[in-house]
Amino acid sequence: MGLGFTVGVIGVLILGHAAYSTIQYRSLLKITEEEFSGPPMEVVLELLVGLLFCMWAALTVPGKFLSVHPHSDENRVVSLPENVDFMIFNHRGRAFSSEVGLKLKH
Amino acid sequence: MAVGHGDSSSSDKKPTDALNDLQTFNAENLQSNMKVIYYSRTFLSIIGGVIAGILGFNGVIGIVFYFLVMAVTSAALAAKAKFSVHSYFDSWNRILLDGFFGGLMSFVLFWTFAYDIVHIF
Repeated sequence: MGLGFTVGVIGVLILGHAAYSTIQYRSLLKITEEEFSGPPMEVVLELLVGLLFCMWAALTVPGKFLSVHPHSDENRVVSLPENVDFMIFNHRGRAFSSEVGLKLKH
Repeated sequence: MAVGHGDSSSSDKKPTDALNDLQTFNAENLQSNMKVIYYSRTFLSIIGGVIAGILGFNGVIGIVFYFLVMAVTSAALAAKAKFSVHSYFDSWNRILLDGFFGGLMSFVLFWTFAYDIVHIF
């Protein structure tokens, strides 16, 4: 989270620097009275790098995708009831044979 | 042996069997995933708007640029979900189209903003 955030901030700073360079380039063009056809190649490269950084930050900072399957292993609803002290196991159920290896079901 | 009624509120209460497994799903995780997509798309729309303004895009080319940025975002989100969309969402439309028009508004706002700052003042 911290690294992604830093990368995002760096990307935005790169974009700000590219904007500043473009402003300076435009004022230079005003002096020489030429048309603005597009920013110089370095600015375009800088914008591309900034875009890549911001894209990487946008994908990692908000968080991971969590699985939506109700039965996947990371979505198990396993919780012990709070009244464990009141549960007794020394009852007639001992007479039934139980399967070993049952998963807890909802 | 089944455990007693210790359901938490995070899953749906409908009964499931293996065949219609994906008709019910963990709604809380789905919402969290939708939020992740929303944040990613909004941030990238804003960044795309700033870039379009700096580059001086004027008309339709700017909208085309927005579609391009959104297409790359959708591809990147699909890659983040490791292309198995059904284990994180309930349909492809979520990952491809959600937040598209909200992002367009933010894009146009920051596009005009950046264009004004860089090219007019």
